[in-house]
Amino acid sequence: MKTLLLKIEPVIWLLFGAGIMLGTILLPGYLLTVGLGAPLGLLPEGALSYERLHGMVSHPLGGLVFRLVLLALIALPLWKGAHHLRHFLIDMGGHGSDAVVAPLLYLVAAVGSVLAILTVVSL
Amino acid sequence: MAQPANPHAMAPSRPGRTRTAPPMKPGNWPSSTRYRTYLAFDFTGVIYLLAGFAVLGAARAFAKGPEAWSALLASYRSPLWLLFHALALASVVFVGVRFFGLFPKAQPARIGPAKPPPRPLLHAMLYAAWIGATVLLCAILGGAIL
Repeated sequence: MKTLLLKIEPVIWLLFGAGIMLGTILLPGYLLTVGLGAPLGLLPEGALSYERLHGMVSHPLGGLVFRLVLLALIALPLWKGAHHLRHFLIDMGGHGSDAVVAPLLYLVAAVGSVLAILTVVSL
Repeated sequence: MAQPANPHAMAPSRPGRTRTAPPMKPGNWPSSTRYRTYLAFDFTGVIYLLAGFAVLGAARAFAKGPEAWSALLASYRSPLWLLFHALALASVVFVGVRFFGLFPKAQPARIGPAKPPPRPLLHAMLYAAWIGATVLLCAILGGAIL
């Protein structure tokens, strides 16, 4: 397992790097609107209505961009989270459990990413 | 007249394994602000992991139809969700400030024939992209444009 992890390390680093960069760039806009603005009543009526958003998703060109941004919003933070959490656990407790923890965390991120692709395609 | 250096001059007097101190955590590490900040930066991984799954849940609710989407938005009014989203926002801002500060310093001197832009310019470009994307997403999802 350790050999496999070392072999796929560049891929994991690529996804982690994209997660920390794009996840950090994209998440504030989502959190400020969907996470905080809408529940606190700070957005105009109907801004996040199903009909409006569905119209955006159904647009031939805009819909593709919308889906790609949504996929990046889901999958990339998962990889950033898995890799950083792995290193947090190494910092706190050493490499003892890394052989189990690392594959588990990356599996969680991979499953989440596959679910994200399936969900985004089904919109 | 100078003699050539002896490559074995620093060798131990008797053959055997060189003794080294075992790796140890410094006893005062929890009180070090730098170490705590570094650990907090790593710990944001938990928040990002949860945020990724939260957005996945929202996308799946949207895929199910208008009722599920409305129910999800209604559930976001609960204090727990509000607290989580506020914590996630604070974590993302913390990661952004720290990472965008480190990023220009971590660039190689050259990438092939190209040199990276000067650090202050790279720093400014990252902030421009971050603020620009946030404003654009807020404007689109908030109903100001499109």
